[in-house]
Amino acid sequence: MTYSIKLALQSLWHEKWINFLSMLTIAMGLLVVTLVVSSIYNVNLFARKLPEKFFIVAYLKEGLTEKETQHIMSSIKDRGSIARAKYISKADALKELKASLKDADYVLEGLDENPLPASIEIRMKKEAVGPEAVKSFADSLRKIEGIDDVQYGEKFLLSLHSMKTGMETIGLILTVVMISGIVFICYSTVKILFYRRKDEIETLKLLGATRGFIRTPFVIEGGVIGAVGGIISVIIAAAFYFSVFYKLSATVPVIRAVVFPTELFLSLPAVGLFLGITGSLIAMGRIRF
Amino acid sequence: MINFQQVSKFYDTATALRDINLSIEKGEMAFITGPSGAGKSTLMKLIYAAELPDSGRITIAEWETDKLDGATIPQLRRNIGIVFQDFRLLLNKNVYDNVALALRVRRIPEKEVKALVLDALKMVNLRHKTDSFPSTLSGGEQQRVVIARAIVGEPIIVLADEPTGNLDPDTAAGIMRIFKEINVRGTTILIATHNRELFRDTGKRVMRLDNGNMVNEERG
Repeated sequence: MTYSIKLALQSLWHEKWINFLSMLTIAMGLLVVTLVVSSIYNVNLFARKLPEKFFIVAYLKEGLTEKETQHIMSSIKDRGSIARAKYISKADALKELKASLKDADYVLEGLDENPLPASIEIRMKKEAVGPEAVKSFADSLRKIEGIDDVQYGEKFLLSLHSMKTGMETIGLILTVVMISGIVFICYSTVKILFYRRKDEIETLKLLGATRGFIRTPFVIEGGVIGAVGGIISVIIAAAFYFSVFYKLSATVPVIRAVVFPTELFLSLPAVGLFLGITGSLIAMGRIRF
Repeated sequence: MINFQQVSKFYDTATALRDINLSIEKGEMAFITGPSGAGKSTLMKLIYAAELPDSGRITIAEWETDKLDGATIPQLRRNIGIVFQDFRLLLNKNVYDNVALALRVRRIPEKEVKALVLDALKMVNLRHKTDSFPSTLSGGEQQRVVIARAIVGEPIIVLADEPTGNLDPDTAAGIMRIFKEINVRGTTILIATHNRELFRDTGKRVMRLDNGNMVNEERG
């Protein structure tokens, strides 16, 4: 093993330029994959947080009796997908509006009667929040006697959902393409090194070397190329994070909401190592005696 | 030690060897001779399983070559020291590393490797060239490095394919002295050569190949 490591290191040094270029290319490929995965991660994170904030408002018709309102409330609460339903009376609605207007509440002066309808604020269970489910739920609410109108961020929900699906699809395709690309880079690098040392390998075979003995230095070399590619990508990502992202987030608050999945970044050398080994194993194929 | 029974080998339509019967005893030193293209190199390759026979059976010590696979071929080859016609030295490695390679493929610890390599180089009188690279050596020196590599693992058989091919008579005689020394230690030696001088007056068996056929056997 020691000798195989020595051989691998010698070859890495001897062919340093081709190896370094491969490492850089792998680093770039891994960065693209990480960027894509990070974006999907953030969209998913946002989509996961959404149900906590998402609510439907059912506006009640004017002049409902307390009994009728309670009937509506209980028929809503009976549904399995409901986490919470809160009744907001006309008076509460006005109070909330006034509170939100703060100093500008003078606009409400002169109103003889409260124009705001009573409503029920409904929060759905996390797992039930999806464009289809929410839409059919809202439709069913509209059919309840005494409910005037139902409102929720339909367009927002739909666009978020399609963005999530779209990004996942594009991300999956890009990830597969990039990972195949990285395996191919390792494959071709090791293939070139393998061909350059073809005579040496022939001699090794005739001297009684096993397949393992012949393969090990190349596997180590492929692994090192992949792993170093991974390390370079972590360094580039860290440099980007601290030089651009970190500084920008101080001035642009939206950026602060973006999460960098640290585990993902730290796993890049391991991913590179795995892809490098895979590429070199494919490159060598079945060694024949 | 080396046994051929009705062995034939064809390359496309050309016959390399036809119905060869051959038996070389343990500790024997023998010669295969014949003109270029007679099948000498093919016969050698069949012994170390670089080629397989199209018909017949070859037994080398306890191994039947047609039953070998990727795991057992290295075992056979570790027991055969080969002196290649084209040397097969690695030009980017020095003399020491070239010889050591035969031991490193067996994953022998470096400490033992060092002692064995220096012994082998001493035997071929190249102890002082340990750090030299093959390209700086003469043909005779390169050949002796190859012999050192062939014997360093103490094989049971040494095969030499035209070991004195391009060497002057004095150097060739020196190489033959080394083979005799190795043989005295009990190693079976088979030398393929078209140079009659190598086996003249040796008293060893000489098998003559011509056009793939074993035409006669005599004493040198």
